[in-house]
Amino acid sequence: MTPLVEALRTRGVVVCVGPGGVGKTTLAAALALQGAALGRKSLVCTIDPARRLASALGLSELGNVARPIPASELRAAGIHLKAPVEAMMLDMKQSWDELIARSASPEQRERILANRFYQSLSSALAGSQEYIALEKLWELHSAGAQDLLVLDTPPTAQALDFLDAPARVMDFFGSDTAKWLLTPALRGTKVGLRLFGLGGNLISRALSRVVGGQTLSDLATFLLAMSGMNEGFRERAQAVRALLASEETVVVLVTGPAAERREEAVRFHQSLREQGLHIAAVVVNQVHADVDVEDVSAAGRLPEPLRGKLERTLSEAHALAVADAENLQRLRAAVAPTPLLSVPRFPGDVHDLSALWRAGAYLVPDTSPGEDRPPAARAEGA
Amino acid sequence: MAQLPRTRLLVITGKGGVGKSTVAAAVAEALARTGKRVLLCEVNSGGRATALLGFPAAGPELRRLEGELWSVDVRPAEAMREYVLKRIRVERVYRALFENPLVRAFLRFIPSLAETVMLGKVLWHVRDTEAGRPRWDVVVTDAPATGHALTFLGVPQVLLKTLPPGTMAEEATWMRDLLVDQDVTKAVVVALPEELPILESLELGAGLRALHLDVSAVVLNQATEPRFLPEDLTALAPFPRLESLAQAHADTARRTEEAVHRLGALGAPVVKLPRLYQGTMDRASVEALGQRLLNGFAGWT
Repeated sequence: MTPLVEALRTRGVVVCVGPGGVGKTTLAAALALQGAALGRKSLVCTIDPARRLASALGLSELGNVARPIPASELRAAGIHLKAPVEAMMLDMKQSWDELIARSASPEQRERILANRFYQSLSSALAGSQEYIALEKLWELHSAGAQDLLVLDTPPTAQALDFLDAPARVMDFFGSDTAKWLLTPALRGTKVGLRLFGLGGNLISRALSRVVGGQTLSDLATFLLAMSGMNEGFRERAQAVRALLASEETVVVLVTGPAAERREEAVRFHQSLREQGLHIAAVVVNQVHADVDVEDVSAAGRLPEPLRGKLERTLSEAHALAVADAENLQRLRAAVAPTPLLSVPRFPGDVHDLSALWRAGAYLVPDTSPGEDRPPAARAEGA
Repeated sequence: MAQLPRTRLLVITGKGGVGKSTVAAAVAEALARTGKRVLLCEVNSGGRATALLGFPAAGPELRRLEGELWSVDVRPAEAMREYVLKRIRVERVYRALFENPLVRAFLRFIPSLAETVMLGKVLWHVRDTEAGRPRWDVVVTDAPATGHALTFLGVPQVLLKTLPPGTMAEEATWMRDLLVDQDVTKAVVVALPEELPILESLELGAGLRALHLDVSAVVLNQATEPRFLPEDLTALAPFPRLESLAQAHADTARRTEEAVHRLGALGAPVVKLPRLYQGTMDRASVEALGQRLLNGFAGWT
């Protein structure tokens, strides 16, 4: 049993990470289907699925609510699962609002929700999207309504952007920065920020000149409103971080076969390991399959111009496959002993349930009796 | 082709993974070869586009690559430093204040400040002069991907709507004016002949239009020209595997054609770049792509 199959059978959380544009959301959905096929009630929580994928999953709108993937759709795609599978699309803004609602007093809450700084929180504070995705994961996991959670994450070029999110948010709200900035304000002095008191007028004038005086005072108001929530934030962020590092959670790193992606994937893998996370697999998606030698000789026996056209087509396909295979081999060596799985590129787009099912079979090569799976599924390095 | 540079800023954007950096690098290199002074300006990308031309990755300082081709990777910390120093002019104050880790954490929290200073630096290069003439004939920007690009390019307009009058609002005004000047700024959207990149390109076009930044050209990367005729497919009927290979090629070529048609909705010429069948880009292939792009952009580069 590969570590990924083992995780789908026994662990509670699979987090899919990786850069944008490599099919991470698609594979997260495919893993949830495989989890359900193994008999575990599964949920895929996506961030920003393409419209067609969303509709294939039965999601017509955002809303932080898990909805079952319609049984009729699954039947129509010829998929028979042993357990239900659900999907959910994360609404960043609503998730933050819910978090504030939980952690703040009613009066504090009003002030926070109305503040301009809060309103642009998700873009302003680096890592806040990642943080809220992890926060949601923790909440879903604590609620325990599913056996297996598969989390799709926002695209990040660096693993640390994602992993550091709880720490960064925690640092800001819960630690020295906020306290240092807010101490005089908390003592009830007139000026909201210690910055104004530090070093006298030169510094405060300098800051105002850079960001504007009004902006500074808006920010002071916001920080003051948030300050009472520090403890709540800190506890949650610690819980999120603990869940990520626990035996309950595995990480799947998704990437593409192109040479430009390789170094990025290796760096990503390295930081995941340094953080002590359990990496179940590196998945290379959309790999070009090689041509069949029989096809090459069959093409050679055809008359021109067909022969030339086919030979050209075959040699192009071969060139792509050779380049991908070389990259895969180098990547496999670089991430060992983490198993490397490859999922072939399917013609056309992979946005319906049957295509998700087909892709999933390459991630879970164990063939269960009576289920229709492609025999070509392969696992490497396991 | 490539005469009379009125265009001073090329903004290259599109969905993640469609080849924006390749297009930016190829255009910059090709423009420099026509004798222009060109700055390839990356936006916190790690200097990737410069590396595609076979040079060490771009860093936060301007660097001459060859001839009149230069590059820089605009990064938040350095852009912030330049931005602040232009205003307070006292290095000592800057260091005391802005290099304090606590203050940095605080500044990170100000909405859009990082985007403002990075966009400001890109646009400042466009306005930069040397001996009475613009320092750069053209600044080619490898802009962020769709969602982030709209946030990035929209920063001045958002700031103008939300900020009280003051320093940042004044900054935002000149930045917006430069971006929406159709003679100066041209937006180029890069796409692939696949469903999601096409949909995202159309959304991106609408988003840019809402910012009064019209799309001047669409680049369709990895285009496949038709090869198999209907009668070829018929002739291959006795060889099902070869037939499906030919059919797959014909389908790919059809998707390219459909993509050209659908991207036409952006109201700009679609320039096709052929799909390349090699593992990594070499300098010769980047140059060939650049030539095609300049031909496609004829009239305004």
